[in-house]
Amino acid sequence: MKITWNWLAEYVDLSGLTPEQTASDLTNAGIPVEWMERLGPSLPGVVVGRVLSVAAHPDADRLRVCTVDVGAASPLAIVCGAANVAAGQKVPVACDGAVLPGGAITRSKLRGVVSEGMVCSAAEIGLNTKLLPKEQTSGILVLQDDARVGEPVAAYLGFDDVVLELELTPNRGDCLSLRGVAYEVAALYGRAVRMPDDAQSPRLRAGEFPLSVRIDTDLCQGYAAQVVAGVVPGPAPIWMQMRLLAVGVRPTGNIVDITNYVMYEWGQPLHAFDYDAIADGGIVVRQARDDEEVATLDGQTRRLWPDVTLIADGRKALGLAGVMGGRDSEVTGATRTVVIESARFDPLQTRKTGKALQLRSEAEQRFERGVDPAVVKPALARAVALLERHAAGRAGAPVFAGALPDADETAVEVVVSPAAIGGLLGYEVTAQELTMVCGRLGFAVRADGAPGGDRLRVSVPSRRADVAAQEDVAEEFARLAGYDRIPATLMEGELTAGGLTPRQHLQRSLRHFLLSRGLQEVWTYTLTSHAQLEKAAIVEGHPLRQAAALDNPLSEERAVLRTTMLPSLLEVAQYNANRRAPDIRIFELGAVFYPLRLPVEEQPGEARMLAGLLSGRADAGGWQGAARAFDFFDVSGMVEDILDCAGVSRRAVEAAPDTSPYFQPGQAAMFTIGGLQIALFGQVRTTVAERFDLHRAYYFEVDFDALDSLARTRLHVQRLPRHPASERDLALVVADAVTAQQLLSAVRKAAGPLLADVRVFDVFSGGATGDGRRSIGLRLVFQADDRTLTDDEINGSVAAALAGAARDVGAELRAQ
Amino acid sequence: MEERLQDLQRRALAELARLDGAGPLEDWRITFLGKKGELAEVLRGMGALPADRRPAVGMVANRVRDALEAGYAAQRELAARAADEARERAEAVDVTLPGRRNPPGAEHPLQRVIRRLEDIFVGLGFTVADGPEVELDHYNFTALNFPPEHPARDMQDTFFLTGDLLLRTHTSPVQARTLERSAPNSPLRIIVPGRVYRRDDDDATHSHAFTQCEGLVVGRGVRMSDLKGTLLAFARAMYGGDQQVRLRPSFFPFTEPSAELDVRCIHCGGAGCATCKQTGWIEILGCGMVHPNVLRMNGYDPAQVSGFAFGMGVERIAMLLYRVEDIRDFYVNDLRFLRQFAGVVL
Ligand SMILES: [Zn+2]
Repeated sequence: MKITWNWLAEYVDLSGLTPEQTASDLTNAGIPVEWMERLGPSLPGVVVGRVLSVAAHPDADRLRVCTVDVGAASPLAIVCGAANVAAGQKVPVACDGAVLPGGAITRSKLRGVVSEGMVCSAAEIGLNTKLLPKEQTSGILVLQDDARVGEPVAAYLGFDDVVLELELTPNRGDCLSLRGVAYEVAALYGRAVRMPDDAQSPRLRAGEFPLSVRIDTDLCQGYAAQVVAGVVPGPAPIWMQMRLLAVGVRPTGNIVDITNYVMYEWGQPLHAFDYDAIADGGIVVRQARDDEEVATLDGQTRRLWPDVTLIADGRKALGLAGVMGGRDSEVTGATRTVVIESARFDPLQTRKTGKALQLRSEAEQRFERGVDPAVVKPALARAVALLERHAAGRAGAPVFAGALPDADETAVEVVVSPAAIGGLLGYEVTAQELTMVCGRLGFAVRADGAPGGDRLRVSVPSRRADVAAQEDVAEEFARLAGYDRIPATLMEGELTAGGLTPRQHLQRSLRHFLLSRGLQEVWTYTLTSHAQLEKAAIVEGHPLRQAAALDNPLSEERAVLRTTMLPSLLEVAQYNANRRAPDIRIFELGAVFYPLRLPVEEQPGEARMLAGLLSGRADAGGWQGAARAFDFFDVSGMVEDILDCAGVSRRAVEAAPDTSPYFQPGQAAMFTIGGLQIALFGQVRTTVAERFDLHRAYYFEVDFDALDSLARTRLHVQRLPRHPASERDLALVVADAVTAQQLLSAVRKAAGPLLADVRVFDVFSGGATGDGRRSIGLRLVFQADDRTLTDDEINGSVAAALAGAARDVGAELRAQ
Repeated sequence: MEERLQDLQRRALAELARLDGAGPLEDWRITFLGKKGELAEVLRGMGALPADRRPAVGMVANRVRDALEAGYAAQRELAARAADEARERAEAVDVTLPGRRNPPGAEHPLQRVIRRLEDIFVGLGFTVADGPEVELDHYNFTALNFPPEHPARDMQDTFFLTGDLLLRTHTSPVQARTLERSAPNSPLRIIVPGRVYRRDDDDATHSHAFTQCEGLVVGRGVRMSDLKGTLLAFARAMYGGDQQVRLRPSFFPFTEPSAELDVRCIHCGGAGCATCKQTGWIEILGCGMVHPNVLRMNGYDPAQVSGFAFGMGVERIAMLLYRVEDIRDFYVNDLRFLRQFAGVVL
């Protein structure tokens, strides 16, 4: 919302104030002034001149020699190149020594003829040509006849003004008008607001230009209209045009300019219809019929539906209520009689219609924020008075329908307690001070009268519909008293214990572990695309392709919620590999989304995943030794260590080969615990890795929620063993198909309670083991709580383990 | 007898002085001090002496033994030291060669900010809550006093999955969820770090996905001055002990009164610079007293309790702290960018 300083001064006394100080005070009171600028350049030496004569230049076809009266003793001779210069025109003249935004003007010779100045175009004097009609921007600027010869042009155009741009929050629809801002300034400085009062008696005879209004819908609470006959379409007065230009409205002619001017003044959107386009002068406000069409002012034909409120006559639609007028009833240069509409339309429906038709007009934006019902009638009176003054119109009597209350009927009472407001803000507020601040806002205050209470009744006028409860009054008080008055204290009263949950601690310890292992934490986007999933070999039909899709994505690349972090981590690896950083060790702890069904109807499941990617060298090598590339057991070991962080024993885990399409066959595994999948890891299929410019990559993902559900949160330490342990190494030969896990569980099951631990220390195939067989070296640790074990006891346990391994997985002791 | 002993001592010590190395030293010990060595040999002759001579000769013999043993011990010490020194010389390395490294990764800068926020607010008695990123319209808007079709909804361009499901535009729905889940009017102090989404094109200052940290305090007699004090404590913990804060009026549908919080510009200290547009202040978060409608809609009684809420952009904090100029840097994950955060304590 833009305003100008001089325009504002019409409604509130600004004497003694500067735009800079007021802008700063408004900002501190919650009406931020984003930007301010002088309306136009000061243009020293540029005055209004009248072209007395125009003659051809003796030596140049395109130039003319004009004599121009600038109010000096004698007229000036000026050479002018514009085609539109003509005798009798009033024009801006830069005299010798004048300063234009583009530079100084001096007396000079043009093709042998002395030019004593310059006739200026709109752009040359610093006007915003984007909003001006073409006839005013090509050639010289022709001024209106009310310009006085010799008057400085900057003064005539009102350039000595300041434009302020306000950044309004959605609750302050009231400040979408000069009136609202005037009340705000009045409250800041304790001054009074004076709005123009233009009530006039009708000049048309009763029955002349009959007009009637009927409201046939709940979505229009009130409608006022008035005929102005005998209007003479033409340009609006220059000061009005300049103000509209300053706030960003294109001047189009006196009638429409006046409705816009009054909208900015009062905040009430108005509309002007050509009276002759309204059948029998009978206006009906009603809901549209299905598929009813209306041609709007922007030249488009809009197909409507019953939610849309229309202005119509007995035969046809005239316009969209509160959003945009219709083409057929538009005011044109031929219009002789107009009807001005000032009405109350439903904020919600106006917004819906505007959004659906993508017509967020100035009117629509005001209606959706709520227009003060008390200004409907004064705004209409004001527009009609201006039409009489500046368009030669004669007004009929206003016609009213629905509820059109006066200001004294619309105020709302809010009961407040100064003590409660002080309690909310944290400092003492007296009734006297509260009454004083309310007074500045124009809110009347009276005592509630309840015995013993401190309560006050605050009467809030309808221009401030955002103030409806004690908290709202508290804010009004606080911002006018200054937020700096609020002291800094800390909460008193109830105790709350702060702290992190076990789950949050687990997140921290996992991060800490991976960071210490040299993995870099990354954060990637959760929005991805089917193409990206496809690239990671998650093909149509795979469960991870069941991704929740956005209804209104900004781009195809960010259209679905990820179901896995694999593609985003591969992307990060690719980005860095392409920047000479081929050694990748990264992880992310983030969300993936599993919709329960597609299309999505309810909230998808959100799982927290700890995923990582290893690629390139595990050990960069150097002067001490050779480099080593990552392999499968780097990633599997990392997952085992991750489980360790949560106190999940590797022994509790079932490992099994995984056949996900994005993993290299034979190089991927899944960990489950009691049927619950907890981790998935392996080498990324080489064809997939190559698509991401990687040679070999290893991916892991740990289901953080599953891990959290299994994590150990309590510890009772075990007594340290008091008797020594004994170790025995066995080399067992098994068929290749037998997994280490199968062998280990056979040994564990058979060895009995004396076996404290068993682990693989060697794997060997080829040579004496025979084809299709390999030797697995196991180190068995035996220990008892209560005694040192004898050789006989240990040998018995080893024999049992061997027998079990032979029985369960066909293991044989390797020949020495 | 005494002469034999004196002579033995002289010879033995003279020979000892000529020895070099541990092997010959041991041979020397066996030769002179061994069970069958020369000293034992001489002493075996003691029995032949008359009884009155034995004490005197015994004393001489003991002196000789002590002298030989002391000489032996000293020589052994010298030999051991020489061996150690030789080994040390052989094993010395160029200590300026690079060590065998395994450098740690760096916490993501946004995670680092979140961890600091958690630590600061946990110290003030807060717990850390979270909630879903795919949210119901009800929690994201309606339960926060954004009625359907309210113009305030335009402040946040929203990604929708269906008419009723959306990607949360702020972490504030966790306010509504936490209030709803808690026993009516029970005291609350939570912060909610998490990812949020806005339907904005990505550029240097906008991201379709970014991170917020919400805060909510509810209790009996909670005042706006408590909001200011809590955020002052936060600002000092985050930006330094001499920080100052300033509240400015603002508007959010779910708070009343509402405010923006400024801190003294952390780059110029308030003198004015490009970062703070010469004002000396930087806006870091929005806040306010919880709107009574929000308390009421979520099962709390505004007549009994009051509260405050605040919400800050984690990227904004990180950008200010580390002078990051493009918000996309946080999501591109260029290792040359991220690695820099391994080398800073705060
Ligand atoms: Zn600064």
